[in-house]
Amino acid sequence: MTQPPVQPRSSSGSKSPIAAHPVTSAVIAVLVTACIAGTLIVPIYARTTPKIGDFPFFYFYLLAYMPVVAIVLWIVIQLQKRLEPPGGQPANPGEVAK
Amino acid sequence: MSNVNAVTFTIVVVLFLVVTGVGFAAVRWRRAEDKLHLNEWGLGGRGFGTFVTWFMLGGDVYTAYTYIAVPALIFGSGSIGFFAVSYTIMVYPIIIIFLPRLWSISRVHNYITPADFIRGRYGSRGLSLAAAFTGILSLMPYIALQLVGIQAVITVMGVGTSSNNTFVKDLPLFIAFLVLATFTYTSGLRAPALISFIKDGLVYVMVLVAVLYIPTRLGGWGHIFGNAEAHFTAINPVTKKPNGTFIPTPKVTGSTQLDFATLALGSAVALFLYPHTITGTLASKRRSVVKRNISLLPIYSILLGLIALLGYMALADKPTVANVKKADNPQLAVPYLFQHMFSSWFAGVAFAAIIIGALVPAAIMAIAAANLFTRNIFTEFFKPDASSRLQTRVSRWASLAVKLGALVFAVELPHTFAINLQLLGGVWILQIGPMLIGGLFTRWFDRYALLTGWLVGMAFGTIAAYKSASPTVSHWASSSDIELGHTVYIGLSALILNLVIVVILTVIFRAAKVPQGADETLPHQYTADPADLPAPAPAGIGLGAAGAAGDLP
Repeated sequence: MTQPPVQPRSSSGSKSPIAAHPVTSAVIAVLVTACIAGTLIVPIYARTTPKIGDFPFFYFYLLAYMPVVAIVLWIVIQLQKRLEPPGGQPANPGEVAK
Repeated sequence: MSNVNAVTFTIVVVLFLVVTGVGFAAVRWRRAEDKLHLNEWGLGGRGFGTFVTWFMLGGDVYTAYTYIAVPALIFGSGSIGFFAVSYTIMVYPIIIIFLPRLWSISRVHNYITPADFIRGRYGSRGLSLAAAFTGILSLMPYIALQLVGIQAVITVMGVGTSSNNTFVKDLPLFIAFLVLATFTYTSGLRAPALISFIKDGLVYVMVLVAVLYIPTRLGGWGHIFGNAEAHFTAINPVTKKPNGTFIPTPKVTGSTQLDFATLALGSAVALFLYPHTITGTLASKRRSVVKRNISLLPIYSILLGLIALLGYMALADKPTVANVKKADNPQLAVPYLFQHMFSSWFAGVAFAAIIIGALVPAAIMAIAAANLFTRNIFTEFFKPDASSRLQTRVSRWASLAVKLGALVFAVELPHTFAINLQLLGGVWILQIGPMLIGGLFTRWFDRYALLTGWLVGMAFGTIAAYKSASPTVSHWASSSDIELGHTVYIGLSALILNLVIVVILTVIFRAAKVPQGADETLPHQYTADPADLPAPAPAGIGLGAAGAAGDLP
């Protein structure tokens, strides 16, 4: 249900940021999906061998995968900044309802 | 009280007193102009930056679940318990999809609880009530899990176990509980936010020492893993089945791989549906703070992975195994391991870390549940003109009531594996997923369809969890059951059922042109990043004229 991994930054006017940056948006989608799939698809890593040091592969994989996800998510956040309009201004500056 | 180690006991008491002092002093931290506004008591002033948010969310997400329940499951059943590691990896790529949007819309409209958002999005008080009820209900077993964690440490310390009287036996637990309740009452969210600095510091020291030192005492990692593999692949003479699984198996019947994956996915989606994690998120001051934390929080997950391995260490330590077997309570595995491995003073530090590590999230959970009650039940249905001061007063009392409710869960449900308490909470909270996560992206779902789907999901999940039996317990034994020949997490199967009903009914209701209710949110508000605090909304949910027409479905 959380499958559409894009950040649909809804258009407040003319052109949505996703349409404006199709490549960046697609890269973000692929990266986020890969992060989830790499641990959701258990058969990828449910084995004892190869052992890394004393750690069976299953345990090593899960521990090593975490820092990878942290780095990939950092890249995703940097990419998302590109979807925002230039000039450092957020798409919708400080506005508070009521 | 005969076999209490004086050094250990003193250190735990001293650290507990320090934390209590900090908890009460926190009321002065970042002092607010109007400390009786619910944004202050319930969200710490909505001004936490990256640093404070990181510590607080870390203190909020990593709980007695992490320190006691997960290692206990791994100690008892093997690799299936590692689903928790998979889950804490998966949670961050999942929340990056929807959490920044929830922050933005809540900031713009001054929403304090997730049910506030649902009220504003669908113009439906009934749907908002369903979300509030689910939030409070699902937090009860989660808080109860914290109490079970504290109890495990107290038991191993040997404090008060000699009496047969329940009250005397659990007296230390009640004292810890009372202190927690009082400082939450006075300081609100500021208390757990400030204490989480101490908590995280203690936990990091405890874990690093444990994973570097204990393996050297137990013959290295090779022996720890070898011992676990031998134990879990051996056939149990009583049940004629293996003791557990060392690596999840792909067998067609009883595949633990599918169980593993659904438990991880379900828990990951559930984590940021829980009111207490949303409270922690909404307390941060900018959208960028939320995003930055999503990439920084996985550092904690590494910690969880290492803590999980304590379960195998405990299994490799013969005196610990003997002690746990004698007490017949796997929750005691980590405390017994620490007691046997560490010198008395460091055991004191480690025990204090676990106790404080359970108190911080319990406080945030109680605050989140109290906010839900005040905003979405009390103000919404009983006193629509309640001033912000009155709302804060009600929240304070509600936080006490919630904790008492959690005590009931802690006493009533079986503790074979305390992790089931958290998984049971997950079964319930997942059912608000379609309305909350769905609502952040689309207004297509019909509110009556969402309500029906929620009701069916709740009923199915609760009945399935209730009926789950094991050789030792007749009800509430497990959170997975068999669907179409596969073992899956009940929370996830209930959520799928819920979603299917929502989609089918939405199509029908849309075709029948059922009125849709007012939506007070605008598309661009979901990506907004206002630097200013939302203007105080003195009464009610702050709905505009259009929203006020929202009728009860």
